Amino acid sequence: MHDFRARPALLSIALCGVLLLAGAVSAEAYVGPGAGFALVSSCLVVFVTAIIALVTVLIWPFRWLYRKIRRRGSEKPRIKRFIMVGLDGQDPRLTDKFMKEGKLPNFEKLAAAGCYERLETTYPSVSPVAWSSFGTGTHPAKHNIFDFLSRDPKTYLPQMSSTEIGTVHKFLKLGKLRLPMHKPELRLLRKSKPFWTLLGEAGIWSTVLRVPITFPPDRFYGAELSAMAAPDLLGTQGTFLLYSTRKSGEKFQEGGMRIPLESNGNPDRFETVIEGPENIFYDGSPPMAIPVAIELDRAAGTARLAVNGDSHELVAGELSDWIKLTFKAVPGVKVMGICRMQVTEIGEHFSLYVTPIALDPEKPAMPVSHPTYYSTYLAKQQGPFSTLGLAEDTWALNEDVVGDETFLTQAYDIDRERQEMFFNSLDRLKKGSLVCVFDGTDRIQHMFWRYMEEGHPAARGKENAEHKNAIEELYRHNDKLVGKVLGKLKKGDLLMVISDHGFTSFRRGINLNTWLHENGYLTLKEGADGGAEWLREVDWSKTRAYALGLCGMYLNVKGREAEGIVEQEKIAGLKKELIEKMSGLVDPETGEVGINELFDTRALYQGPYLTNAPDFIVGYNHGYRISWDGATGVVAGPLWEDNVKAWSGDHGVDPRLVPGVFFCNREIEASDPAIIDIAPSVLRLFGQKVPAHMDGKLLFAEEGS
Amino acid sequence: MIWINRVLRAVFDAVLSPFAAWSPWVGLALVSLVSAVGVLWIFKRTSNQDALAAVKSRIHAGLFEIRLFNDDLPAIFRAQTSILKANAKYLWLSLPPMIWIIVPLFFVFAQLQFHYGYEGLRPAETALLTLRLEEGAEELAAGTKPAVTLDVPAGVEVQAGPVWAPALRELSWRIGVVESGDYEAVVGYGGVEIPKSIRSTDRVARLSPNKVAPHLMGQLLYPAEDPVSGAPSVEALEVSYRERALDFLGWQVPWWLAYFVLMILFAFALRTPMGVTI
Repeated sequence: MHDFRARPALLSIALCGVLLLAGAVSAEAYVGPGAGFALVSSCLVVFVTAIIALVTVLIWPFRWLYRKIRRRGSEKPRIKRFIMVGLDGQDPRLTDKFMKEGKLPNFEKLAAAGCYERLETTYPSVSPVAWSSFGTGTHPAKHNIFDFLSRDPKTYLPQMSSTEIGTVHKFLKLGKLRLPMHKPELRLLRKSKPFWTLLGEAGIWSTVLRVPITFPPDRFYGAELSAMAAPDLLGTQGTFLLYSTRKSGEKFQEGGMRIPLESNGNPDRFETVIEGPENIFYDGSPPMAIPVAIELDRAAGTARLAVNGDSHELVAGELSDWIKLTFKAVPGVKVMGICRMQVTEIGEHFSLYVTPIALDPEKPAMPVSHPTYYSTYLAKQQGPFSTLGLAEDTWALNEDVVGDETFLTQAYDIDRERQEMFFNSLDRLKKGSLVCVFDGTDRIQHMFWRYMEEGHPAARGKENAEHKNAIEELYRHNDKLVGKVLGKLKKGDLLMVISDHGFTSFRRGINLNTWLHENGYLTLKEGADGGAEWLREVDWSKTRAYALGLCGMYLNVKGREAEGIVEQEKIAGLKKELIEKMSGLVDPETGEVGINELFDTRALYQGPYLTNAPDFIVGYNHGYRISWDGATGVVAGPLWEDNVKAWSGDHGVDPRLVPGVFFCNREIEASDPAIIDIAPSVLRLFGQKVPAHMDGKLLFAEEGS
Repeated sequence: MIWINRVLRAVFDAVLSPFAAWSPWVGLALVSLVSAVGVLWIFKRTSNQDALAAVKSRIHAGLFEIRLFNDDLPAIFRAQTSILKANAKYLWLSLPPMIWIIVPLFFVFAQLQFHYGYEGLRPAETALLTLRLEEGAEELAAGTKPAVTLDVPAGVEVQAGPVWAPALRELSWRIGVVESGDYEAVVGYGGVEIPKSIRSTDRVARLSPNKVAPHLMGQLLYPAEDPVSGAPSVEALEVSYRERALDFLGWQVPWWLAYFVLMILFAFALRTPMGVTI
């Protein structure tokens, strides 16, 4: 059959010719049904295209007039296009170093054409907060994002700070089936309008690609693809799967599920399932599942996987292309996902790694773009791409499920997907703004920092690792990207290349809850050892302070927390006491300061959502961060400990230590640019007024000034 | 070829005979469905499915692009151009499977034409039975009327003729059918007896309006009856059945149009279950 496919069309034309010659006129009638599919489809396409184009052209003058009316009163824009390349986490110290060594010629070129500065980040210096401030031009107290996680004061349990994904609670029962009577509510918890929404209100187009905290997407005049906070098909922030014949293995600390494989007689054949999202059409919402058959060829090092009627050959050690998964809920209702797979071992034991199952951008089960068809458009244009907020599977590398090579392959593949959509959008942008964030810089630095510094605990025994220079290669990769963008600039374009924060080492972890416990601020329930996650063993009736999230610490305030005990009049005193005790806290093992300063959030910023903020932002020193146990609310264990995980670099530290980078092809007037300055500056460049609530200053000189 | 046609006639007669008493739509729908399955199977195996999927994606992307950038006229025209280019590529990619599909459909179409293309004679209805000679026939050169005979069975009567039209090279009789049935008339010419089937029926049945000389194309296009044998000067022996039209909501549509549309509809409905990109 492959022979037929491979044969050139000329052969077919020849056959057609013979038939036509032989049959003369009569044969023409016989061609009809054969040609039908192609002709019907083609004619339909031409017809639909013509109709759409005609309607669009007819409506265009009215839309043009409407846009003119909306822009009435706006000043003349000073730029035609605003292009922002966000390199999440690009560190200025490393940038300086590599620039000095002549390894980043395009960054140098950009700096020489305009400027290069440190970019002040937010408190705390983490992406959801910083990018929210970038978009809205406000401090966190006005956009309501203070960390990755916030806590529910009623339960003390963690919750996503940026998104609320509701559940269906009204059903129509039909025997075993139940029909949902409404869609689950999806709510973006980020407040304040981002500048692209404000530009849209003035009729100025924006394309916003993968800026964190845009799920569910903003609705505005433009297109947006969601990023950080967009869940996988299971509704989590990324759960990888590991199918393995190995019986042993502890539960993964973060982000993964281990699924045992058992052969049914034949040691080279396995049958299992991939579990998907909950099937809300049935009582108890059991997970939807796709049967999977695996057949091994151990000698060849390959596994043949049969799923959804398709067959995929997986070569050991190679990450597959995207594989489409179709979960069937009830007849006519399907949920589509995409994942990649890799056989991680195929010797005595067999293990198969499956990336978190991302929403299929072509048919997303939840809206991951605005307009909703935008992700479909991108998928049709460039093929499947990851829609998961945290697309690079850091947890799998952290848990040693995959190796460095696999992680880098995945990260650069995602970067390629991003670049394709970015340049595609750039080519189509005539006027307006294009904002795109490349996350790979952040993820690769998180995972490969250990190889960059002497004596990092996570690199012990891996001194000759193959990817020692991964970070330098990453910066060179970014330099090429900048070079390519520079090559596409036109007159009237303003280009910014920025990062939301810098990076530093994460050598040692401190468990703040252990410290609070040891110092009498946090009490465990009687008989508890503090080993349970998410502070479940805390006796709240005797607890005055607790830590949750990467950088926040809370007081157990009476009237605010469900079982709060700290009276309003005692808050100031307790804050002062904790700041005095924790600022400058020294790691007894290294003699280094672990916490530079404990910041009182109320002294950092003001705004309507300040009540949702943690009471403190913890300013860790270089090399320190909250420990892995501390981040998941475990009270037991050591106060200080080495970080031996691959996640070896971080930025959730004292924000003064990790500013971002700011490159622009124009000089700026303001000194000390900050990430909150960008939104108001962009609005002004497009001739718009800056809303009074914005905290940022203008970076560029006003015309005539 | 004679044997191929005999086998095909037997198959189609067997498949369609259960529906003979029903509306022609019923049998036609069944054949369309079976044809759609066969066509999809061939299409899947003779086309570059990946390339087709890719080019279709480009067309869809272009349509989305028009919708997305509907304030940007140059972008709209650029998207249209890309759609038309992709469409041309789509047609090019569809060409090989299209050609492969023609081969079996050629035979199917030829068989169906003689089940659904004509109506049988009704009792008391008349028709012309015509013998057409080859251009090189002796009588044409000599300018004489050919010597022919016609024997008809009981149930068929010869009402007039034969009338010789040398310009048309035709000899025609007017025949009438007395009662329904399958008959065989015999035309004698040049010492050879040529049988010709005549059918009087109100059911859907195979009818043979043309019995042709044993050339390849004649047999491909007129497979409803064995060809004329042993009479090299005879081009064809014809019965003038009425052409059939199918009633569709009061409109008279030719059977091939109905077949074509039904098959396309079935194919579009079955393409996903069969995993075919068309």
